[in-house]
Amino acid sequence: MHPDVLVIGAGITGMMAALHLSDGGARVTMVDAGENAGTWANAGSLHVQMQSRFMRLYPDQVPAVEASLPLYKAAAEEWVRLDTLYGPFELVRKGGLMLAEGAEQLRFLEAKAQRETARGLSVELLDRPALDRIAPWLGPQIVGAELCHDEGKLNPLIANARLLAVLGQRGIATLRDRILAISQDKGGITVQGQSASYRADQVIVASAWGAGHMVQGLGVTIPTRAEPLHMNITEAAAVSISHLIQHAERSITLKQLGQGQIVIGGGWPALDRGRSMPPGVLAASFLGNVALAARLVPQIGGLRVIRTWAGMNTTADGGSTIGRLPQAQGVVMALPGDAGYTLGPLVGRMAAQVALGAQPDADMARFAPARFAA
Amino acid sequence: MTGQPAGHFTFDGKSVPLRPGQSLAAALTEAGLRSFRQTAKGATRGIFCGMGVCQDCLVTVNGAPNRRACMTPAVAGQDIRTQVPFPDLATAPNPQPAAPARVIAPDLLIVGGGAGGLSAAIAARRAGASVTILDERKVGGGQYFKQSAVSGPLDAQQSAGADLLAQALAAGAELIGEVEIWGAFDGLLFLAEHKGAALIARPRAAIIATGAYERPEIRPGWTLPGVMTTGAAQTLWRSYRTLPGKRVALVGSGPLNLQVGLELAQGGAEVVMIAERGPAPWLRPIAAAALALSGPALAWTGLRSLADLRKRGVPVRHGAALDRIDAAEGALRVTLMGDLSPVIADAVLMNAGFDPQNEILRLLGAEAIYDPAFGHLRITRDDTCATTVPGLYAVGDCAGLGGAPAAMAEGRIAGRAAAAALGFGDGYDTFADQRQLGRARRFQRHLWALHDVAPRLPDVPDDTLICRCEEIDAGQIRAGLGEKPGHAGTLKRATRVGMGRCQGRYCGPVAARLVAAATGTPVQDRSYFAPRVPIKPVAISAILAAEEALKDAP
Repeated sequence: MHPDVLVIGAGITGMMAALHLSDGGARVTMVDAGENAGTWANAGSLHVQMQSRFMRLYPDQVPAVEASLPLYKAAAEEWVRLDTLYGPFELVRKGGLMLAEGAEQLRFLEAKAQRETARGLSVELLDRPALDRIAPWLGPQIVGAELCHDEGKLNPLIANARLLAVLGQRGIATLRDRILAISQDKGGITVQGQSASYRADQVIVASAWGAGHMVQGLGVTIPTRAEPLHMNITEAAAVSISHLIQHAERSITLKQLGQGQIVIGGGWPALDRGRSMPPGVLAASFLGNVALAARLVPQIGGLRVIRTWAGMNTTADGGSTIGRLPQAQGVVMALPGDAGYTLGPLVGRMAAQVALGAQPDADMARFAPARFAA
Repeated sequence: MTGQPAGHFTFDGKSVPLRPGQSLAAALTEAGLRSFRQTAKGATRGIFCGMGVCQDCLVTVNGAPNRRACMTPAVAGQDIRTQVPFPDLATAPNPQPAAPARVIAPDLLIVGGGAGGLSAAIAARRAGASVTILDERKVGGGQYFKQSAVSGPLDAQQSAGADLLAQALAAGAELIGEVEIWGAFDGLLFLAEHKGAALIARPRAAIIATGAYERPEIRPGWTLPGVMTTGAAQTLWRSYRTLPGKRVALVGSGPLNLQVGLELAQGGAEVVMIAERGPAPWLRPIAAAALALSGPALAWTGLRSLADLRKRGVPVRHGAALDRIDAAEGALRVTLMGDLSPVIADAVLMNAGFDPQNEILRLLGAEAIYDPAFGHLRITRDDTCATTVPGLYAVGDCAGLGGAPAAMAEGRIAGRAAAAALGFGDGYDTFADQRQLGRARRFQRHLWALHDVAPRLPDVPDDTLICRCEEIDAGQIRAGLGEKPGHAGTLKRATRVGMGRCQGRYCGPVAARLVAAATGTPVQDRSYFAPRVPIKPVAISAILAAEEALKDAP
């Protein structure tokens, strides 16, 4: 086997990179460790506005996120395109509400909205009477919100299954292996896995938190970090919550899927138990996350939580990493950097275009892996 | 059947009489009402497990959606409605805790007030440890002793259970009923709901005695209203003096079907058939003799049941397995494999073995090994019933099927050992209990050798449901297996099997076996869906109440 391009990581980024490569005429194979904790554990928020959680946790990364805002908006539109082509994925783009519980939080949102407008996002501030017209079920303590019209939600189980089937129809195979190292010589790329080694002309690295370690020998140090996050889902109810709900200061996302279940998440930590065990549930996350949801949307109090799970988010320096490695031109990085599920399809497509020979424009320079050169 | 109505409630506007102590499910069944809820795909469902596990008997109670009829007491004046699949949140009342949260910190917490849990409580309490028992039911005693919730005479099994219950209370153990445990965390923190209020337990040690639930016959028609587990029917009759139906058929394998068939016949039901997968004992004389030698009294009870059934003219068909159940003639038509003469029944009861309720144990990280003969996990324990998790013990069927006599012996052993480890008593010689335990386990081995509860891969048509909650059929599961999932969790994400309210209790073991068979790997602990909180579905309002209580008293 010697494909033109080997895609490492068969999550949403790798799958969409493979699809575009295949559409572009390349012979593509994917290889994946089968850990299933990123794309396959995602909760389906389409994030565009700056997440207050991220701004609080990683203040040093905010400039990079802010610079990436147009990318987020384009990524949401990429999802809409995929939904039209291969869906429906229960994609709803009614916007995302970031709630304020007091004057100070409202001022924070005002400042944030100005910065986001400057970057081309469609946002507006709503006072309580305006909120009551679109979300009358919010708790009485909510004084206002920022509405970002670019945001939305989808059902990732449906999207993943549909897109996987599309890849199957294209005859794109996925090998099961854990990749340990990548090296380049004159003839191409050698990829060393746990159970075999592989040759390819080019490689796309779309392996999220596993990527940094994988390319360490190639002259870059990319600080990819796994962030296990806790999520909850309720039994179904009649659909009445159409927006993605977030908070100006606290960690939460709340949305209702097309089939009626309410998914509550937003970045509460889960317990990392190593590679051989799925992440565990922390009592403080489970209680804190659901209790916060109950305070923001009191009418879900009678619904029951039926499941919890944990998924991995990947962070690096706040920005995406897309492009060829300076010292190994056959290796193309495809790392969203945060909100991997939202950004994945667009980042995968951009990386595929690089692998297919497109010349990166000035905009792409911001994502170049060279910034991590040792 | 006995006693006068104590009032009425309404079901979809129609008046239904109730007797004191009855569950909603019992009162509705007695009124001939079988369909309690509508599914997302337009089917109807009713009582199935009868013990709070399957989440299929949901009704709307006074506007509050998704209440289990089998666990909710009937009260005069209630407005009960068929549960719709997508209740309107705007009209549902937001439940407020009925009472402030309660935090308990006993030396020893016992989860489950059945044969094993009560025996453990008595032993530990007599050694001097403070003991609290939490039980799901309003009345303790567990599934084996099935205590009566209505007035009336007790049978021998109920009397033995009432004695054990009285001994536990006399020894000074506290028993809290109607407690639903939904969270268990390291360091031994248990979170529960007690009549709408939060209950938080921080014991020094815990004994899990949560028993087992019944393994159904997954065949076409197994989700129809009127089809229920044999244990559900036994609870209707023993606890509420309600017959599951006028004409009753029982299918599956094991001694419970024979016992309940006889109890219902004695109670006035027309038992039209008992189909037992295992061969007749007279065709297996050596196995039958081994059973008789290992437990003469219990073996005799079993044989007498068979004779009694025959005297009453109940057809007991050995070596017979269920093919399908269809709705017909306003009732249910039951067809056996290779059989041309189906029977008509109002209720079909099924029991094809048991699966341990080991959720709390697995959640806390207790190790387990798959037992291929019974098709379920056995928790790894030392000879004091201690698991691989410090301070955590497991007794009775939750650790792997063993029956009530073994559960009681294990309870005594674990209760004394747990108390001794906490500094109460000397954990004195357990020789007598160990010998009884050995005898009980030998009897169980010989007993199940006469039945057929080997786990099966579902050999059913594509349109037969495997996952009751999400309504995922065999065809969808087969398509999912075609994607070569390496783990049951991957099959779950691909097909939604096991994503519903019962949390995969019925389809999960099937998914684990199917994936193991497809990948050619043996079933093991990790083959099952990963254990996670909540252990049972829990209202968001209950989580909020627990969070506030823990914040105030960390």
